[in-house]
Amino acid sequence: MSSIVPTLEWLEALGWTTAIRESPWDYPLLETAHVASVVAFAGLVIMMDLRLIGVAFMHAPLAQIQRRLFSWQMAGFVPSMATGVLLFFVDPLRFYGNVFFWVKLVLLALAGLNALTFHLKTYRMAERWDEHPQAMGRARRAGVVSLLFWSATIVSGRLIAYNWFK
Amino acid sequence: MKTKIFLVVLVAGALCAVQTTRAHHAFAAEYDEKKPITLTGIVTKMEWANPHGWIYMDTKQPNGTVKHWTIETAAPSQLVRHGLKKADFTDGMTAVVKGFQGIKDPALANGRTLVLKDGRSFYIGSVGGPNDGAEKK
Repeated sequence: MSSIVPTLEWLEALGWTTAIRESPWDYPLLETAHVASVVAFAGLVIMMDLRLIGVAFMHAPLAQIQRRLFSWQMAGFVPSMATGVLLFFVDPLRFYGNVFFWVKLVLLALAGLNALTFHLKTYRMAERWDEHPQAMGRARRAGVVSLLFWSATIVSGRLIAYNWFK
Repeated sequence: MKTKIFLVVLVAGALCAVQTTRAHHAFAAEYDEKKPITLTGIVTKMEWANPHGWIYMDTKQPNGTVKHWTIETAAPSQLVRHGLKKADFTDGMTAVVKGFQGIKDPALANGRTLVLKDGRSFYIGSVGGPNDGAEKK
């Protein structure tokens, strides 16, 4: 694991990463873009989750909600990942030494895995609810897991600002 | 249905309220408002960086030993706004820093005022610190 440190030191010392890290405005703008796209993504995911759990938008078919939200969710997801990776590149050693950063990465992976399983498996079954009544329960579970894991991802992301465990 | 929406809004509102009290890398989470300090010493290094800068400073203790301080400053955008430049810092320069000591780490401090050798004084505190009058508005 420690073998990655020289690479991170190299990354941190690069001209452009240093310039952004030391800049008065580029870094705050990058942070703002990250938070804004995360908010857009998470808000749209929560809408889908509430539908899956059976709390909201029950008047509309699941397929319709999914179809309408998905491209907008991706429009939030892609820039949030891009700005997130950039923020890491700009100050890699700080993140490397931060517990909450690693917790966030694990949660992000779990949330992503849940989303992937839902879209590739459960949702396919959901198109034929009648033949697969168990899909209803799985969809609900995917909604609950999604809500919990994405929330936890965001909370741990915010906590990176606190160096409680050095 | 209405009850559910109400509950969701209620929980969301409660979460927002919790966030406000601890918002912005809260001063109170890491620094002690009741421990104001004035440090005179040598700036060994200045990290002019986001999301906030760091001044590394060596001070002489009454017993003759040297204490290595790590002092948090505001972000570059704030420092620039208060008139500081990255070029104002040179490794090994003497300076005076006023601020507040860390709660857990006694060698950590939150910088509020920086006085350079030429007498110029700057506000270097982050947003959300105590109302100690360091910031000239």
